[in-house]
Amino acid sequence: MSRRSRAAVARSAAGDRTLVVLSGLVLLALGVLVVLLGTGVFGSNRAQRPLFDPVVTGWVTQNADLSRWIAIAAGVVLLVVGLTWAVRSLRPEPRPDVVLSETPGERLTVDHSAIADAVRHDAEAIDGVSRARVRMVGTERRPALRMSLWLVEGTDVRDVWADIDGRVLARARQAFSVDALPTAVRLELDAAASRSPRVQ
Amino acid sequence: MRVLLRLLSPLLGLLVAGVGVLTALEVIVAWVAPTSSPLVVPWPTWQAAVAGLTWSSGTVRGIAIGVAVVGLLVLLVGLVARRHDVTLTEPVPEVTVTTSPRSLARAVGHEVRSHAEVVSASVVASQKKVVVRAGTLDTPEEVRTAVRERVDEVLGRLPLARRPRVSVTVAATKGVK
Repeated sequence: MSRRSRAAVARSAAGDRTLVVLSGLVLLALGVLVVLLGTGVFGSNRAQRPLFDPVVTGWVTQNADLSRWIAIAAGVVLLVVGLTWAVRSLRPEPRPDVVLSETPGERLTVDHSAIADAVRHDAEAIDGVSRARVRMVGTERRPALRMSLWLVEGTDVRDVWADIDGRVLARARQAFSVDALPTAVRLELDAAASRSPRVQ
Repeated sequence: MRVLLRLLSPLLGLLVAGVGVLTALEVIVAWVAPTSSPLVVPWPTWQAAVAGLTWSSGTVRGIAIGVAVVGLLVLLVGLVARRHDVTLTEPVPEVTVTTSPRSLARAVGHEVRSHAEVVSASVVASQKKVVVRAGTLDTPEEVRTAVRERVDEVLGRLPLARRPRVSVTVAATKGVK
């Protein structure tokens, strides 16, 4: 299975998932460790020590300036990490334009919406497709196509495939003069009732 | 669950950023202009409240349990939010075809309900398994075989990457035929 067409199926949530799983693990570990510390698993002496441990407060008072700088630096690091995280996860998925030719001083691209519209138009002309949605995904260097097709009840998926590859994608590949255009097709089966009446 | 992840992830990011900016601000204000401290966070009050506590205090344990539970929930959201696409075989290289479990269930459901003896049906589908529950006024055993055949036929028509296991249960429904 091609990795590029596979990646085009949906926006990747890997980054978000990793960060969320990590924060969950950190919170869980913190909570469990404090409970264990309090119940005396690490020694009953430790459990009885105050939260503001004299050893720590003593070090902070002795190195007041250093601890301030450490706290400020930690705050700034958290700010940068948190903002990058939020911006990354809120940023919409990019829709790259397709670069046809690139020579120094000259650059020919096709607008992503032009491609999407053309392919959608072709796809909707296929027998058995009631609606189509098309968009470009990926990066400018490695663009891919994501196509959602709503099929009429009783349509043979293999026929639709043949038309998609033979007509729609063949035309797109020819237009961009590429050998392969990674494509992810999402099918909605039986999304619209067939034209023939169900009760006769 | 993916919606929850998409909401939770930027919120956690903003939370981390907020904690960072407040920490830096409070430390700077307490250092440079101690008279206007605290700025936003009432940290002297918190400090006084925490001062008498030890690690074995009830409050500390309560908060720690709360943090652990929240952590577990966040962890679950992250782990559960994967895609459940049903993949179809690749028609040509560089083309991946998928469908949603709901859509597969709808296709199977249409076929099952088109059987004359089936009065009600529910279908749950995933990449690995299709579960059909149907009700009939006839003898369930006969209808079950027929429904199974129909389901197999639908799945045969669809070029699925892996054939899901099919389980069909048919129950007799009370009523007048």
